[in-house]
Amino acid sequence: MYHNRLWRAVALVSVCACQGADLSALPEHARPDPFGAIVAADKVPGAAPWREIHLETARGGYVSCHLVVKLPGGDYQVQIAPFPAASGIQVELYREWFHYVPSAQGYYPDALIPAPTPYRSRIPEPDNRIAKQVAQPFWLDFWTPAATPPGSYETSATLRAEGKTISLLIKLQVLRTVIPAEDAVAVDHNSYGTSWLATQYPELVSRVGADFYSSAAFYELIHAYHRVFYEHRGVFHQLGYGHAGKVGPEFAPRLEGSGASKHVAGWTQYDRHYRPLLDGSAFAGTHRGARPIPFVYLPINPEWPASFVNWGEPGYEREFINVVGEMERHFRAAGWTSTRFEMFFNHKKRYKGFPWDGDEVRFSRDDAYFREYARLLRAAVPADSPVKFVFRADVSWTMERQFKELAGLVNFWVCGGGEFGWYDYAPKLLKDRGDIVWIYGGTPPVTEASSQVTVDVIRPWIWGIDGFVHWQTTDAGEDPWFHFAGGAEALVYPGGRFGIDAPIPSVRLKIQRNAVQDVDLLNALAAHRDIRRLQAEAVRRFNDTGLSEWRTPRPPMADRNPEDVSNADYEDAMPKNPKFTHLDAAAWQRVRGYVLEQLREAK
Amino acid sequence: MKLVLFLAAAGLLAQDDLPARLDVVARAATAMLDGDVCRSIQTPRSAKFLLETDPRDPWKASDNFDVNDDAFIATKKTLMRLARLCPEACDVNLWMPVPASPPRIQILIRNVHEMSQFWTWGDLHQDVPAEMKRVLATGERVTVRRRPGMISVLTPVYDSLGEIAGLAEVVSQTTPDLRENVK
Repeated sequence: MYHNRLWRAVALVSVCACQGADLSALPEHARPDPFGAIVAADKVPGAAPWREIHLETARGGYVSCHLVVKLPGGDYQVQIAPFPAASGIQVELYREWFHYVPSAQGYYPDALIPAPTPYRSRIPEPDNRIAKQVAQPFWLDFWTPAATPPGSYETSATLRAEGKTISLLIKLQVLRTVIPAEDAVAVDHNSYGTSWLATQYPELVSRVGADFYSSAAFYELIHAYHRVFYEHRGVFHQLGYGHAGKVGPEFAPRLEGSGASKHVAGWTQYDRHYRPLLDGSAFAGTHRGARPIPFVYLPINPEWPASFVNWGEPGYEREFINVVGEMERHFRAAGWTSTRFEMFFNHKKRYKGFPWDGDEVRFSRDDAYFREYARLLRAAVPADSPVKFVFRADVSWTMERQFKELAGLVNFWVCGGGEFGWYDYAPKLLKDRGDIVWIYGGTPPVTEASSQVTVDVIRPWIWGIDGFVHWQTTDAGEDPWFHFAGGAEALVYPGGRFGIDAPIPSVRLKIQRNAVQDVDLLNALAAHRDIRRLQAEAVRRFNDTGLSEWRTPRPPMADRNPEDVSNADYEDAMPKNPKFTHLDAAAWQRVRGYVLEQLREAK
Repeated sequence: MKLVLFLAAAGLLAQDDLPARLDVVARAATAMLDGDVCRSIQTPRSAKFLLETDPRDPWKASDNFDVNDDAFIATKKTLMRLARLCPEACDVNLWMPVPASPPRIQILIRNVHEMSQFWTWGDLHQDVPAEMKRVLATGERVTVRRRPGMISVLTPVYDSLGEIAGLAEVVSQTTPDLRENVK
């Protein structure tokens, strides 16, 4: 993970950098373009290709860089020699796909296609179809197990092209420190339903046939999404119901009856979906090991399990308590007691299904519905249940009121990141009462500096809260490959184009993962050091800010009636600090440098 | 072969019969829905914002969309009970005109199968389709097959003065899509 004094450019005798074939490397934040340069968003003064790769890493984690093949054209082979077997260090090679972004009129690498080593191809890369391409980058991930003995390890990358062989030395310094297994911040990746899976995997659907949604391949695909985010130190959520209460059959047990007789009639699809996730077996074979997912949405909404036709009447309560009570017993019997099962209302009245906003309440009278559902949940779940039911609310307009009005009822807050920054007292208020606190926001598109994705990794940590949600992460658009909108709603891509029935990761996802590892290490250091000093130095290095600059003074509009406030008012109230709006690509590298210094000191 | 033909014919008959069965529900909808109550569902404040546009706030109308709970809930429950009359899974949606020039219309209550042949997902209001114009102008019930496999019967909703206040869309699908609109 850690690039140590990475800017040394040591020319190897065997390398010809200017003419013909060339093999070099770049730090993870400097994304290459197809023409031998670095993409505009990532250019920083003094950047130069590496002629050797020197990386430093803690154990139990990844370290990464770009390996760049340059060639005027023609066939080539690139190969990474393995590290000594006893080290346990594994090398994973990915070809970087160049997405054409019409709005930027340029190419950005993001999707990462797993590549064998040796990898043989030609430039221009046939499937990427870029005229005048002369550079093909590969993402190099080095996985160092927690059991690897600290020390220095070497291997090499080799390019064969134009009758020449060019080698690049790879030196990996493995530190004594082990990255904590538990993340200091949860980085969550949200998605909605499953209909998009059929759209994004037409080849798989065609092979499986009409029974796709009941096939093993369907469930395996869902689990593959969980795996890719888990392996990248993230969480994956799939909301299983629509704004008018339609529940996808794989997201809920099958129900029968009505009123007093309503009950769970079958768990088959639910268990096929969730059992491997809730017992952790879906993650067997991953580097991080088999562990249950930490969070999951329940299918509860105003129409499930109780039908809204009975809202406000005894039948509604009976249906709710019957079914949720059965769920609690099913989860308890299965031993699913480490996952937090979230009762969460995503609907908005603008979608015309229900008369109140579950998501981002704007009209305070809607809080009454939250009180009623809190009461129902308490009635359904035994107070001493080992199953962790939580009441989650995603809040923005009225969050400050809701923190007070719904205290003790809602215990999992997912807050609009901008507004939450106005309330400097809120993290302590909420954490002191044992609530889980996340913030939410979008995903930086590929056209922004590569470090942008790390902002929402460090922000929750310095605010003293628990996580960040990317509100949508699986929608790369209709044609992400040749007419890409930028990826503001995607951090993974469908692998079908490359014969892979699973999502493939992205450069941004990997940069985010490596930043999570760093925050985990900083947080671990706080066991023996003043966390505020660690945080202050981290943000100073990140973008030359002080901790106070990460919050916005409470604006006068915060005291207005939220119903009278517009998005334009919000826009006006948000900070325009150029240290955040013009982040440089190397920002996180400086934080990493700080982490490394601390680890060496700790040693 | 005879069996295959029989089953195919039975399938076609069942499909052909669906509009008639939905029409029965539509008649009941016209009888049961209260146009005055339907008119009171959207709050006056929300209606004021509905057609407002603001280049700095593209979500102004939707962020201010609001309803009177009692009117909404009473009407939705009626729509849900009407849907129980359908032999197959169906929704009964409420559509209400939006005073504008040219006229607009909004879906005001949707239901659990999240079916409609007319609603574009997420639209707060939209142009009035020709079939709906006909219902609003004449009070006729109109059967619509726009989307493959989906059938709607549009039926008027009257107020206490006997004027057409809006319309209900009774909609079903020959092969339900269990995952559409789960988002």
